[in-house]
Amino acid sequence: MPVWLRGHSWRQSGSAVFLSLPVPGVRVTAANIFCTERYLKVSVPPFLFEAILYAPIDDTNSTAKIGNGIVFFTLYKKEVGMWESLTLENASKEKLQYLRENAVLKAHEKAKEETEAKKVTKREHKKYALEATMKLEEAERKRIEELKEQEKQKVTKELELWKDQLKDVENQKKVQKEGQLHEEVEQLKEKKKEKINKTSIPSEETLKTRLKPTKGCRGSCSMFSENLKEEQLPAPRSSGTIKINFTSRVFPTALRESRVAEEEEWLHKQAEARRIISADLSELKDLKEEEKNPDWLKDKGNKMFATGNYLAAVNAYNLAVRLNNKLPLLYLNRAACHLKLRNLHKAIEDSSKALELLTPPVPDNENARVKAYVRRGTAFCQLELYAEGLQDYEAALKIDPKNKTIEKDAEKIRHVIQGTMQN
Amino acid sequence: AGGAGAERPQVVSHVQQALSYTLFDCKWVPRSARLLCLGSAARGTGVLQLYELRAGRLALLREIEKAKPIKCGTFGAASLQQRYLATGDFAGSLNVWNLEAPEIPVYSVKGHKEIINSIDGVGGLGIGEGAPEIVTGSRDGTVKVWDPRQKDTPVANMEPVQGESKRDCWTVAFGNAYNQEERVVCAGYDNGDIKLFDLKTMSLRWETNIKNGVCSVEFDRKDVNMNKLVATSLEGKFHVFDMRTQHPTKGFASVSEKAHKSTIWQVRHLPQNRDIFMTSGGAGSLHLWKYEYPAQRSKKDSEGAEMGVAGSVSLLQNVTLSTQPISSLDWSPDKKGLCVCGAFDQTVRVLIVTKLNKV
Repeated sequence: MPVWLRGHSWRQSGSAVFLSLPVPGVRVTAANIFCTERYLKVSVPPFLFEAILYAPIDDTNSTAKIGNGIVFFTLYKKEVGMWESLTLENASKEKLQYLRENAVLKAHEKAKEETEAKKVTKREHKKYALEATMKLEEAERKRIEELKEQEKQKVTKELELWKDQLKDVENQKKVQKEGQLHEEVEQLKEKKKEKINKTSIPSEETLKTRLKPTKGCRGSCSMFSENLKEEQLPAPRSSGTIKINFTSRVFPTALRESRVAEEEEWLHKQAEARRIISADLSELKDLKEEEKNPDWLKDKGNKMFATGNYLAAVNAYNLAVRLNNKLPLLYLNRAACHLKLRNLHKAIEDSSKALELLTPPVPDNENARVKAYVRRGTAFCQLELYAEGLQDYEAALKIDPKNKTIEKDAEKIRHVIQGTMQN
Repeated sequence: AGGAGAERPQVVSHVQQALSYTLFDCKWVPRSARLLCLGSAARGTGVLQLYELRAGRLALLREIEKAKPIKCGTFGAASLQQRYLATGDFAGSLNVWNLEAPEIPVYSVKGHKEIINSIDGVGGLGIGEGAPEIVTGSRDGTVKVWDPRQKDTPVANMEPVQGESKRDCWTVAFGNAYNQEERVVCAGYDNGDIKLFDLKTMSLRWETNIKNGVCSVEFDRKDVNMNKLVATSLEGKFHVFDMRTQHPTKGFASVSEKAHKSTIWQVRHLPQNRDIFMTSGGAGSLHLWKYEYPAQRSKKDSEGAEMGVAGSVSLLQNVTLSTQPISSLDWSPDKKGLCVCGAFDQTVRVLIVTKLNKV
């Protein structure tokens, strides 16, 4: 139960009410004061003061001064006039309640309106700022555009001038050539005339027909000058052949700088793998020389696989792996054997090991990788793990998109998956 | 980068023309405002189109269709009066055409077994001395030099040794043609090999490997003592070799630069200034570069042999014109800064590069 504060005192003028309220012993802050048009409340636990005001006040402009143990209110009346008392004395409890609630509601509404108004102004400001920057940028862009336009026009004019110059030059040349041609023809005519005068007198017509040039024709113009130039050109070169070699390369694809690092890594791995690394195999002392060579064992294994002797093939690969466990092809081929023998888990293991060893992925080991994915996929499907199987088939397709068999098999698996899902 | 800086050259797009075929090469017709577009129509035939620049647009003057798609062309071996065009097509045939009468080629030979990827000509257009010759590089791994006066057989043939697996030749260029006898051919291959053949001594003068397929090689000038060679490659790199000093083991000095972040399809030097060149990239961009020579172009190594010193390259301007690779580029020999480029978006663009005088 709050303690009601009763020690307040008040006085008034025509337009304002001055209320002083002692609040003993506790600090009052702005949050403890609640004021609306007709209702004033100060709540500082455990103290409580409330007043239903006699007449409405202007709560936005009214002030409250908080001092040492006392709060001094300056409330501006809405309507000028003298109040009979500070509060409504003969208000019924319901009316009081109603007024209280109303006050609270009104305060809420006011708060809301204020926030709304703030938001709106903020938005307006932002919009304005944005528009201003847009205008600036637009102006900048226009300026650059204009510069470019000017440049363009200047340049176009120059171009037209140049073209006209070209035309003039061409015309001049034409006239010159015609003139030259005419001169030459005249000279020849003169010479011929001289000759003829010395020998006989042929008809003038034959002269003319023989020497009739076609004026203005490009062909004969060039023929005259061309003959002259040909005499100055050297004879065609005597034929020769130069044999060339191309930069040697291990991979069949052309060299690309971005792939060099990967390719080096792969080559390095291959080189390492070929060296026998496992040393502590004492039981191997009584093996024949060739049986200690992993490549020879691999070939043996391949042959036995071809004849259908899968167990023997696996043995051969096992021995080879003991000698050198870094050759991916051993695991790859052993996986194929396990598939035939229906040792599906072992097939998956071996394909995975092969894929591990076939990194980094380069075009050189594409074929091997495709096979590894396909074999592992098959093993998964036979174990009815269709989702994993499909993943591997799709990986294989990614490397070799043109392989129709893989595509068909992938399709089949998809159908099986959809079939089981529908069930 | 692409800003309107006060003194930097600007690349101004003058005209754009959409074409209805795949454009492989575009060339200016010397001494004119006309340009030639070569390519492949959708139905698998070759197309030659002759355009003229008129008042801000390209006017089609002539369209010629040929049996096989055309990959490349050059006017380099033609005389100024005749201006015959030499082309290489997808079937490996070299043809020389008179554009006034293009029905029958002036010279024709089935020089290669596979597509002719690149062609160059020298000795014509009043530039340089010596016989006019055409060189072709093909996917069959051979590089052949032809003289239009000699039918059927090339005057030089650079082919792989018997039993050697072949590599595609992607680009060829003539150089060092400063007198009647001297001439070299530089060829770039898809495995990164660059080989320099000396035609006077009929021998391989230098080779190197730049670790990525070579898309384009060009000497800065064909008709001078070989000065600089630019080679562009896949994976966004190009190399500039200083060709004045050849070290007996280290070859030529070079500087390399990464640009375009994609294949650099072409390099073309400005005919009016051999230290400025433009590269075109697979992402549809063009970069304009300037080469600066070092203080000393050669120095002695520890054994006293001369070796070259490469300079540096600086980017003058770049611009992105298309989303598709710009596969062909040609500067006009008559108007400084005028150039044409063709991209795989079936558009040919005429550009003007300004302020080159101030570089």
